[in-house]
This record gives sequence, C-alpha cells and structure tokens, in this order.
Amino acid sequence: MTRESPILRLIQNLTGTADEMTFIQTKSGIHKPQTLADTVRPDFPILHREVHGKPLVYLDNAATSQKPHAVIHALEHYYSHYNSNVHRGVHTLSSEATDAYEGAREKIAKFVNAASSQEIIYARNATEAINLVAYSWGLSNLQRGDEVILTVMEHHSNLIPWQLVAQKTGARLQFVQLTPEEEFDFGHYQSLVNEKTKLVSVSHVSNTLGCINPIKDIVGLAHQYGAKVLVDACQSAPHLPLDVQDLDCDWLVASGHKMCAPTGIGFLYGKLNLLRSMPPFLGGGEMIADVFLENSTYADLPHKFEAGTPAIAEAIALGAAVDYLTNIGMDKIHAYEAELTTYLFEKLIQIPQVKIYGPKPPKDRAALASFTSGDVHPHDLSTMLDQSGIAIRAGHHCTQPLHRFIKAQSTARASLYFYNTKEEIDTFIASLQESIEFFDSIFS
Amino acid sequence: MNTTNLRDLYQQVILEHYKKPKHRGKTNPVDRYQKGHNPSCGDTIELTLQLDPNGDRVTDIKFEGEGCAIALASVDLMAGALVGKTIDEALDAIGTFQQMMKGEGEFPKEQRKLNVMKGVAQFPVRIKCANLGWHTLKAALQMTGEAKLADFVSNEAEL
Ligand SMILES: Cc1ncc(COP(=O)(O)O)c(C=O)c1O
Repeated sequence: MTRESPILRLIQNLTGTADEMTFIQTKSGIHKPQTLADTVRPDFPILHREVHGKPLVYLDNAATSQKPHAVIHALEHYYSHYNSNVHRGVHTLSSEATDAYEGAREKIAKFVNAASSQEIIYARNATEAINLVAYSWGLSNLQRGDEVILTVMEHHSNLIPWQLVAQKTGARLQFVQLTPEEEFDFGHYQSLVNEKTKLVSVSHVSNTLGCINPIKDIVGLAHQYGAKVLVDACQSAPHLPLDVQDLDCDWLVASGHKMCAPTGIGFLYGKLNLLRSMPPFLGGGEMIADVFLENSTYADLPHKFEAGTPAIAEAIALGAAVDYLTNIGMDKIHAYEAELTTYLFEKLIQIPQVKIYGPKPPKDRAALASFTSGDVHPHDLSTMLDQSGIAIRAGHHCTQPLHRFIKAQSTARASLYFYNTKEEIDTFIASLQESIEFFDSIFS
Repeated sequence: MNTTNLRDLYQQVILEHYKKPKHRGKTNPVDRYQKGHNPSCGDTIELTLQLDPNGDRVTDIKFEGEGCAIALASVDLMAGALVGKTIDEALDAIGTFQQMMKGEGEFPKEQRKLNVMKGVAQFPVRIKCANLGWHTLKAALQMTGEAKLADFVSNEAEL
C-alpha cells in the first residue's frame, strides 16, 4: 500500500478519518477506501464460489444468511473436541460442553441487553419460539372476548400460531393495516387497542416491506392497557442494535440462521417474572426438577422451557455468531447497510418497469427491496438472474396476506447483508435490466 | 446472462403464449371447475372445462389466474392441444407431459408443439410451474359428480 498516492491523500483530506481507514488497491490501480464488505468477505467461504460460471451474488439474506469461518469452526471444534451432552454428566467433556452452551446464552443475553441470561430460552427457530409463547402463555391466559393485535405484514410464523390459539380460546385477532407509504399504521393501531387487548404480536422489521416498526411506541401504548407485547426480531436482530430493556417488550424472538449462525437454533427472550409464570411448553428431560410417576416439578429458568437434548453445537455456534457480529459492531453494520440500501433504491427506481413496495430511503428501513418488474414474473426473473449467479427470492416470502393487501400475487426480493457490495448491486441491476429487455423484445 | 440455456427455456413460442394467451377465460357452460395452486409461490389458476353431452370428450378448456411465463404458457399450450380429445386421451397426454418433465420421452408428431416445454426439464425448480395446469386438469378430469367450487389441488404432493 503506497501511503503517498495523490488519490489517497485526496480521500484522506475529504474524509478526515484516514488514520483509522484502510485502503485497498483495485484492479485499475486506484486506491479506494475499504468498505465493511471488503474487510469481512474473506471470512465467508461460500461467497467465493461460482454459480453457472459466474461469481455468486447472494441477495437472499432475509431468507437466511451465510456463515463466517468463525461459526463453521465453532461447530467443527465442538464435534472434534468436546462433543457430549449438557447438564448430564460430571465428566470433563460434559462440563466443557455445558460451559460453552451456557456461555453462548450469556453472549445472546448481552447481545439483546437482557437483564439476565435466565431470560434467554433456546428454541429451534423464531417459529418455535412464537409457538412456545402461543401454547404456554396464550392457551392459559387468553379467553373468549380477549383481543390479540397482529399486523397485516406478519410472517406466517407470527400468524398461524395465533390463529390456532384463537380457535382454541375464542380470542379475537385484529390486524393493524398499512399507511399509504406501506408502513405500520400507528393511528390504526391506536384505534384497535383497548381494555380487551391482551397481546400485541408484531414484527420489528417486515421481511417484505422492509419497514422498521416503532416498537417502543407500540409497547408503550399496549402496556397502558395491560397488554403484553411479543416482538418478532427475525429481520432486526441480524441488522440493528437491539436493547430489550429499552424496548420494554415482554418477549422477543429471533432465528440464528439469519444472523450468521447455523440453522436449528434461535431464541426467545422473555421478562423473568413473565417466563416464571408461564407453564412448560414441551415436557421431557432437562426441564425437570423432581420427577414422580404421576407428577413432577420443573427446573428453574431457562431450562424449564428446554425439554430434551438441545441443539448444543448450534447454540455454541450461535454464540460464535454473536461474537462475530458484536466485534464488527451492530451500529457499523446498520450504517453500512443503510448506505447500500440507498444505493440499491437509487438504481432500482431508475428502471421504469420496476414497482417497489414499502417505504423508500431516506426513511430508515431495512436493506431489502421487494418489487415487481412489469411483465417479468418474479419466478422468471429469479431463474434468469440465477443464470448470472445472482440469488434472489421470488414468491410471497411467507407473507401471503400482506401480498393480498398490497395487491401483488408475488414479488421478487433482493435482500442484503453487510458482506454485500455496491458492485454486486450493479451486477444485479444490470441483469435485471437485461431480463426485462429479454421479455420485452418478443413483442416490440 | 447465460442466454443459451435461457433461450432453451424461454422460447419465442412460450413467451408468446404467456403474453397473448388464446385460452384465457371461462367455458360456457362450465361442466368442470378446478382451482390449482403452487403453495410455495402463490401462483394460482382456475380451470374450466366444457364436455360433450356424453361427458367423455373435452370440447373446451379455459383458464384464469396468475402465474409465471412457464406456468401460463404451459396451461395455454395444453388447452390448445387437448380441446376435442376424449378424457382418456387427455389423461394420456398428461402422463406424457409429466414424463417429459422428468426428461423422459416427448409428444408424437401430431402434438409436437407441446415439446417446446421440454427445456423446463433442465430447470428442476421450475417443473412444478410447468406442471401446474396439467396437474389441475388431471384433478378436473378425475372429478366425479357436478361442477362445484372444489378445493384447491396443490401441485406439490406429486413432484
Ligand atoms: C419476520 C420473520 N418472522 C419469522 C420468520 C420465521 O423464521 P424461521 O423460519 O427461522 O422460524 C422469518 C423468516 O423467514 C421472518 O422473516
């Protein structure tokens, strides 16, 4: 790196932060400031593969994220060195596994700023965590006449569990609608909340619209009426700093696989006293204190909700993922993604056939864009982009009611993470334009 | 884009049937009605059939609904090829189509127009798109009794 280059000096003068910055040399020999993606891409082995002879451009991060070496290594290390069951043995391996498993729980607690790691319950994924609350708390606290407020933008996994509980208890489901900008309609929410409201269950960030919902205000109003609030943080935990004490939500759920961790592991955060008051969800080993043939007493938190041998390696690897994200800094991740989002929208908006759903920058929003592109159906688009190595999602993204609401049969969705680059966005936009032209060429 | 593969998949004929379908609408009268969908993507079509008075020959096939180019071109081509066929002939053609999607065999000369769908076999994730209309037709043909607002048939169990 030649620190004397004129361009470098120019950039240094412009940014004024050159001391902390690192620079990379591009193919053309020009130095440019190193972005977050430039620094982290070497950590993700999969980002270096090819698809159909082209470098992979992975833009399906809202479905699942890729995994860094640190996480893959945590899995391998566990199975190579201390694989054994947790909380069940006095031998060395079991105690190492238990320490790592419980250590990961503490990392997650810090990551969301929970008051205690007892408030973190491991689950298979966000879906299972929501079902835990629905069956444990919902079935024993909801009754006919009660109201549960959801939104029309919810993922099926924050919809179906409540439909099932409503059918069993007679509670009524109500749905917050969207503003004209396709965001959470707070005015409508205010009109729905009342003394009968027992629960508000809402996504923090919509996986389709990309809007960031005003959780603190939602919680504040719900609590005035004594209602509990569950936050589906699947699309926020990977991208934003989270503070459950500041949000004051009663529960929060997330899936590890969307935040650099393996599949098969996620978590439920719940306020300690609330979790204490909830009956167990699944019964079995691990969640008990004293067992008799006819009845039993249950383990203290968090184990009361963790029946059976858990996903030990996955939980430990989730801890590694949390370390990885924390080392980068969630603020930095959000800031870099905001820059990418602005860039993505600038480019997309220039294509006349493209219609984008959800709020647009400069509004703070998630790094994803759901859109339709004229005559090119999202499936056809996705197949075409795949031929260029570009992975996007096409379909209803598990938000069928929302798609009905916005009157789109299906949409295409490009969703970014902190390892994506502006160059990848350029590749995506060029292929998108090419696909639209390919379809249009037939009848022009 | 890797256009050679894509041109195999999106042949001119396919795009023409997608953009200017010949069999959109509802038959009159509606002797059979069947909805079909792909739950994973949300694509939905509604198929209506007109049968001859004996009920053993399909005299008209129409469709409505939304889907990708592959799904809609496939159902439009199907309708064009199978109007006038007996129910047994239509069921045979469905079998041939589904074999072709597995990369096995193709249609004989008289129905060779349908062979433009052959390229889909190279795109395994898109086979269920191509099959949507055919699968729905199969359910409509095998339906017993009156035309009714039948439930959706899902196109995923079979593949
Ligand atoms: C907002 C939201 N909620 C819930 C889920 C469900 O996540 P999982 O399938 O990992 O339980 C997802 C991911 O698909 C999501 O985006």
